[in-house]
Amino acid sequence: MTFEPGLIHAPLTPFTDNGRINFDDYLRLLSFHVSHGADCLALPMHVGEAVNMSDAEQRKLIAFALENIGNTPVIAHVTDAGTQIAADRAVFAAEKGAQAIVATTPYYWTPPQSMLIEHFTQIAAATSLPFYVHNAPADMSGVKINLDLVLKLIDRAPNFLGVIDSGLDWQFMLELVTEAPKLRPEFQLVSGNEFLVSASAIGATSCLSTLAAITPLQMRKLYDACRADHLFEARKVQEAVAELYQIVKTGGVAALKAASSAMNRDLGSPRPPLSRLGESETRNLTAQILRAIPSETEPRGWV
Amino acid sequence: MPATFKGVMQSTVTPLNDDFSLDLSTFEKVLDFHVNTGATAISWPHHKAESLSLTFEERKLFAEVAVKVVNGRVPVTIHVSSLAVEDTLALARHAEEIGADGILAITPYVWAPTTKSIEEYFTKLCQSIGISVISYNSPSYLAGVEISGELMARLIEKLPNFVGVKEASFNSEKFAEIARIALPIRPDFALVTGVEFLLPSVPLGGVGSYSAAGSICPNLCTQLWESCVVGDWPKTREIQMKMTRIWHLFKDQYPSSLKGGMVIMGRPVGPTRAPLPTASRERQDYIRTQLEEMGILDSEPHGW
Repeated sequence: MTFEPGLIHAPLTPFTDNGRINFDDYLRLLSFHVSHGADCLALPMHVGEAVNMSDAEQRKLIAFALENIGNTPVIAHVTDAGTQIAADRAVFAAEKGAQAIVATTPYYWTPPQSMLIEHFTQIAAATSLPFYVHNAPADMSGVKINLDLVLKLIDRAPNFLGVIDSGLDWQFMLELVTEAPKLRPEFQLVSGNEFLVSASAIGATSCLSTLAAITPLQMRKLYDACRADHLFEARKVQEAVAELYQIVKTGGVAALKAASSAMNRDLGSPRPPLSRLGESETRNLTAQILRAIPSETEPRGWV
Repeated sequence: MPATFKGVMQSTVTPLNDDFSLDLSTFEKVLDFHVNTGATAISWPHHKAESLSLTFEERKLFAEVAVKVVNGRVPVTIHVSSLAVEDTLALARHAEEIGADGILAITPYVWAPTTKSIEEYFTKLCQSIGISVISYNSPSYLAGVEISGELMARLIEKLPNFVGVKEASFNSEKFAEIARIALPIRPDFALVTGVEFLLPSVPLGGVGSYSAAGSICPNLCTQLWESCVVGDWPKTREIQMKMTRIWHLFKDQYPSSLKGGMVIMGRPVGPTRAPLPTASRERQDYIRTQLEEMGILDSEPHGW
């Protein structure tokens, strides 16, 4: 049976006051995700500050997660600026038991599609695990993938299973679901963010969520409604989640960590070059989060 | 009672004679064709009607024809966006004088106006006429300039005739944001998508689309809308994918290719004004093979 991730939670990474990975809190956080609706975990994604960690730390994090969370599948995020570094990390993740690999377009370079195909082909070929490409133009200076790349990659990488799309672009998503399954019937469109009603209407079958750290139960409700094709009914919870998305959007990882603290799940500060929100920003964000998420709808603390 | 704007609304092309002058008799046929094949409203001249290649007087002339020929069978809106704001305002006043049900206006062209100037622009436009105003968001064509959800809310709150938006971002977040913020303030606000992207928009509160392909396949447009409003998502997906293929066929050199396709469907509307090219015979042949392959030639009306 083909791997299908379902609702994927992308955990944040907790750091101690002196900037080390806080593995005690990480274990609590992973357990929280698993017990609050995650079908699968993807780590360390950008929201998990992958780029703020050394290769050794990322490996340690991946290994730690795989050793400690039981049967929940893990998609290892291996993106790097160098193709070989990313491919080597994919091999490591496979050896440790990851169920799939995901890679975003490479950092810093503004590569043409031909470079991207080569990059993704090499990372995919490093393991036999299901391989996903993450299309995240807003995070990657506008670099994105196109349909032609996807079709060529299907031809070149037998384990290329789908695109996690954070681009929000209806035209691209419709192109993917119209054309890619003709070459690979098991091809999957995975929504790369929480705007799941539109993506799911188009044909997304799984969803990668960063907001699941803040509002896991609503995300589960949204995902289940969408997967059952109850799209009109999903609108209300979609709008509730969209409101949270807008609250944390500008502040990025720092805002997500502040929001997590507002929910009584403190994960420390982000690592430099990111910094934590200022006092008044934190106060405002906390007030907005607590107003937007009534205590009866989501757990406070780790319970 | 003001007109309502929903369903698959048709924005017609502009028929031209071989010398590129306006072809009045064919325009009348185009209007009747759309009304007779299920259009829930008519709108002219969108960009696909070469609005920016028409003179001020030509726009007024055909606007009058559109209102007269449609004759109240469905609502008519006139797209008034011009390079100069004064021209936009004058075309809006003209649309009201000739009895149009509403106007459509995009954010200002060329410049990168601030949110404040976009707000002032729509405020002035809405206050200069008494008929309905539908705004038009197309950030990918206008260097990211758009009406955000928050601005949309402010405009709705202060302008009673600001009744809708043609949302052509084709972006999940942008559409959801406008729905989330605008619809609670005015539940009958006409949140309409561009092209026929009904599948991703109707579940979020979208009430229709300005059609791109209606002059080729009006039956398919109606089927898409009908399956969408009853929530038959598997069928809607199937039709939307077909519509995606059609959109890609015509998106290239739009609307030249569309006019080329109309030749194949027995509804020739002449050339396209420069700087757009006119679809070549080879292009038309290619379109024919694609339409044939999709079964459009058998399932859609031929001729007027």
